[in-house]
Amino acid sequence: MISGTREGPPERAGPRLIPFGGGKGGVGKTFVAANLATTLAKAGHRVVAVDGDLEGANLHTALGVARPRSSVAEYAAEREEDVRKLLEDTPFPNLRLIAATRPNLASPHPSHALRVRFVRALRTLDADFVFLDLGAGADSAVMDYFMVCDDGVVVIAPEPTSVENAYAFMRAAFYRRLKLAMLSADVRKVVALAMDERNERGIRTPLDLLREVRALDTEEAHRFVEVMRSFRPRIVVNDVRSAEDIRLGFAVRSVCRKYFAIDADYLGYVNHDAAVRASVRARRPLVDSDPRSDAAVYLARIARKLIAPRLDAGGEAGAPA
Amino acid sequence: MKPLSEQDYYETLDVSRSAGGEDIERAYRLACATYCEDSLAGYPVFEAGDVELLRERIEIAYRILGDPDTRRAYDLELTGNAHAAPAARPGSEPASAAPAARPAAPVLAPLDTLDELEEGEGEWSGARLRRTRLRQGVEIDEISDVTKVNPTYLGFIEDEHFDGLPAAVYVRGFVTGYAGCLGLDVKRVASSYLQRYEEKQGGSKRRLFSRK
Repeated sequence: MISGTREGPPERAGPRLIPFGGGKGGVGKTFVAANLATTLAKAGHRVVAVDGDLEGANLHTALGVARPRSSVAEYAAEREEDVRKLLEDTPFPNLRLIAATRPNLASPHPSHALRVRFVRALRTLDADFVFLDLGAGADSAVMDYFMVCDDGVVVIAPEPTSVENAYAFMRAAFYRRLKLAMLSADVRKVVALAMDERNERGIRTPLDLLREVRALDTEEAHRFVEVMRSFRPRIVVNDVRSAEDIRLGFAVRSVCRKYFAIDADYLGYVNHDAAVRASVRARRPLVDSDPRSDAAVYLARIARKLIAPRLDAGGEAGAPA
Repeated sequence: MKPLSEQDYYETLDVSRSAGGEDIERAYRLACATYCEDSLAGYPVFEAGDVELLRERIEIAYRILGDPDTRRAYDLELTGNAHAAPAARPGSEPASAAPAARPAAPVLAPLDTLDELEEGEGEWSGARLRRTRLRQGVEIDEISDVTKVNPTYLGFIEDEHFDGLPAAVYVRGFVTGYAGCLGLDVKRVASSYLQRYEEKQGGSKRRLFSRK
């Protein structure tokens, strides 16, 4: 596999990038990402876990790496150009880490151009999966990373604040995607208008917007539908305590469809379990410290589903006619 | 993806056209829970009047699809329309997808396909009981209503908080009732669980005796 030709067009053999976002802080993005990464690594997949949160880095702690030697911050400050040199070993053989410790607080975020370059470099890593653990919020720094694929993971907790932020997050991701896909300046203008929730044209949902776009340009409308169709965020509900909490995932999916025309998937849920807190305090992934615990069983289930080929109604991308 | 007003009843309920009666029932209950005023999933996006409108559509959809006869008539109407108006859905599909033959996307996965069933054999721990219960969408209180077992005890059974539970005969009865509610193999579950119980309890008792 390491045949030397790193330069040529990637042979579709690069790692699969999977971002973990969700808008709100404290819902368990890092916990879920760290444990899924560990689960896959233990199953023999080569995984790189990247901390995308320069302002609240703690993926390294969740993975039991006390003092990372290097950090994305080095890359952000352009002191290190080679992403491979940021890789750090973890206690788990197939799992490596790119930490985000010691940021320059004056300007923690890499520029947009740098982020794009960073993601491109991640795609060349010699690994099966690259997980990106994102920070809270839905700003452009977070969104750039969430856009690395069509089906990023959105972690939510069964509480109003989290659900609210998750919608805002998915909405932001969708519009951003859309704006990039639209070619005509006129259409982009309408999209930008719709991104303001209080727009005077009364465009409330992507479907309202689609109507406007269709009136302007049918070609663009087709591209619009394609974006709508390919964007499939995947929901994980963390810390569920009841069957009602579990149903929240289905409910959110339903609302996404009806209100945003976003075809979200329900990837699974993690049960509330005292063992989770214990593992966090012990700074070890739960699936390693207590693999037989209730929550670990759920996580293993999600991991399996995460990497399974998606059962779609006909692959939309590049399916021969 | 279509605007609400253009969705057919299947789309309104988020079920596939081949959904069975139980799927429809479940989807309806889910829709009712989702589209009500204080819904956790809905409140951030609902605006005044939304819920009434949605509920109305959901009720109609359920009334039609929930009854085999009206559903059959409706299906006929749907397929009839598809023949009458071929490929004339303005822009709902990209240009290439002319024929309406594309299979409907697998819409609402029923709860139990979310996770493959935990395969039959093996030990029945409290945690496994809880997983099974949650997967089926059953709350502790519902089991308590049926079995008349105090929900606290049911919780203790799941947590394997054996010290809080009464004598083994009662525990067997509780677990039997619990397993029955979930449609499990009652005998196997109860004896497996009781074995765990005996091991833990027996262990502590034995220590007690040896100390004497």
